[in-house]
Amino acid sequence: MEKSLLARYLARRLALLATTLWGVVTIVFLLIKAIPGDEAQAAAGVTATPEQVEVVRQRLGLDESVLHQYVSYLGRLLHGDLGTSIFTFQPVLGDLQQLIPYTMELVGLAMVINLTCGVPLGVWAAARHRTRTDNAVRLTAIFCGALPTFWLAMIAQTTIGRQLGAVPISGVSTLGVEVPRRTGFLTVDSLLAGDLAAFSDALAHLVLPAAVLAIPFMSFVIRVVRGSMVTALEADHVTAARAKGARERTVLLQHGLRNSVAPVTTLIGLQVGWMMGGAVMVETVFSRPGFGSYLTQAVAQKDTFAVIGMVLVVGVIVTFVGLVVDLVQLAADPRVRLLETRRATA
Amino acid sequence: MTTVATTHAVPRVRRTRRRLPWLDRIAYGTVVLLLGLAILGPLLTPHDPYAVDLGQALQAPSGGHLLGTDGLGRDVLSRALAGARSSILGALLAVAGAAAIGILVACVATIGGRWVDDVVMRFCDITLSLPVMVMALGVAVALGPSLRSAVIAMVVAWWPGFARIARAEMRTVITSPYVEAARVLGASRWRVMLRHVLPNSLDGVYVQATLEIGGATLIMAGLSFVGAGAQPPSAEWGAMVETGARYLTSAWWISVVPGLLITLTALAFAISGDSLRTRNHPDAALT
Repeated sequence: MEKSLLARYLARRLALLATTLWGVVTIVFLLIKAIPGDEAQAAAGVTATPEQVEVVRQRLGLDESVLHQYVSYLGRLLHGDLGTSIFTFQPVLGDLQQLIPYTMELVGLAMVINLTCGVPLGVWAAARHRTRTDNAVRLTAIFCGALPTFWLAMIAQTTIGRQLGAVPISGVSTLGVEVPRRTGFLTVDSLLAGDLAAFSDALAHLVLPAAVLAIPFMSFVIRVVRGSMVTALEADHVTAARAKGARERTVLLQHGLRNSVAPVTTLIGLQVGWMMGGAVMVETVFSRPGFGSYLTQAVAQKDTFAVIGMVLVVGVIVTFVGLVVDLVQLAADPRVRLLETRRATA
Repeated sequence: MTTVATTHAVPRVRRTRRRLPWLDRIAYGTVVLLLGLAILGPLLTPHDPYAVDLGQALQAPSGGHLLGTDGLGRDVLSRALAGARSSILGALLAVAGAAAIGILVACVATIGGRWVDDVVMRFCDITLSLPVMVMALGVAVALGPSLRSAVIAMVVAWWPGFARIARAEMRTVITSPYVEAARVLGASRWRVMLRHVLPNSLDGVYVQATLEIGGATLIMAGLSFVGAGAQPPSAEWGAMVETGARYLTSAWWISVVPGLLITLTALAFAISGDSLRTRNHPDAALT
């Protein structure tokens, strides 16, 4: 793709990003407004006196018109103010900056497990299309997708963690193991500090929750890889490749699997957001600090602003992941490039 | 009259082997059974699902309590049966509500012209970008945690998916000759929509709905598990798993029974949905 076309594509994509973010913010704002009951009372807490509630009402501008509130809400967001948790009395953004790395670590490892198990299984099923293996893999995929994450997490924690003692059952690190916080990611920080013991400790705490989180998502990866490969392998050029004597391995990986790159990338983009939803349950069960356990705590304490702030943060993360996915596809798939070039020149 | 002997070999059309037909049948049967449980379950309970009897707490499965008792001495089998209604009907309601709203929105988008269509579909995309679980937690906390808010939350989070599918089908159907014929005969836009386009655009929605009921059961249970759905002491499978969490090593049946039921429900609906999809679109058998 030419440079000017790429620039134009990026400009269009960024404009779309801005609209999407604005949309997410607006939905979230409507969500706040849909809450029955007095917002000022909620923000001030149940124990607040009527005078204190009035002070909060004025401070939050709740005595203004809804439109005015909407504009000032947008203004506050642009300054990074997601509101203040009524429970920790800390700004939601500050709390999240500390907690999000734990969740991203969990989601990251879960994604790695998801792909390293899901993709080969999908390829295997497609290579043995309409055989017993294929059916077995297909059933495994459906079964993985039907397991309730929170229940699986509990069972795995009890059997593998508690009874076998294979891995720690809760938290993110053993008490006393500390590394200087730089990025907030425990695995990265321990490596940066050159502390291999701390790294393996962090990894041991991470691996079971990540595996549990990954299992339902493998279901989709297996199906997408299998489906796109089966279609691809029926194409004429694959027959031609086989006729020319290409090895089956080459046929599968170069002609079959390559066609799965685009749908799998799209799927990964969607799954990052879904996994953050799943992390809510996994983090609760494994008592890991993070986005999810903060969210469930906030729900339990009716900490409306914290919940809404986090819905917004997830929306933003998912939107950015979507942008990255599109750019990766643009780089990896000549068909997408062609389509975008046509669209830009049309 | 002479009989024409068909001696020449008629090329036999080879039927594609249906994948595991017995499994599909079991899944359909299970779905029927589960729906029956959802309707009749609360009437079949051997004990009162809410009767606390601390003297009977944490009893292992036995003749008196077939699936044991929980930490408050309540009969697990009775609670599981009573919970079938909230868990399964809750998921059904959520999916039905989401599908209804999605179809309505798709109708509006289809006949509203390009501008309306653009705005509505962009709105759907944005809502879809928020994970259902997170979105539902937001709504559930806004409305106060209860089974009802969990259902509403899932409708709010899920309608755009149905809107997309229905709209895609409507856009193909609307170009058919019979739709054009109806229009030429002077039928109004809404009449064309309701009488001709809508009834022919719902296959995808039905299949999707069947597939999604399994997922809805999982999310409903998850919401109850994290405290945003059914509240104690109500018998709901997700909440039951949560109450049993503390006893998993000493009294596994409290959590394992409802957990297995959730899995079974999700599995039965997933396989049935998959099989319906394959029937409607043989091409989809590939995927």
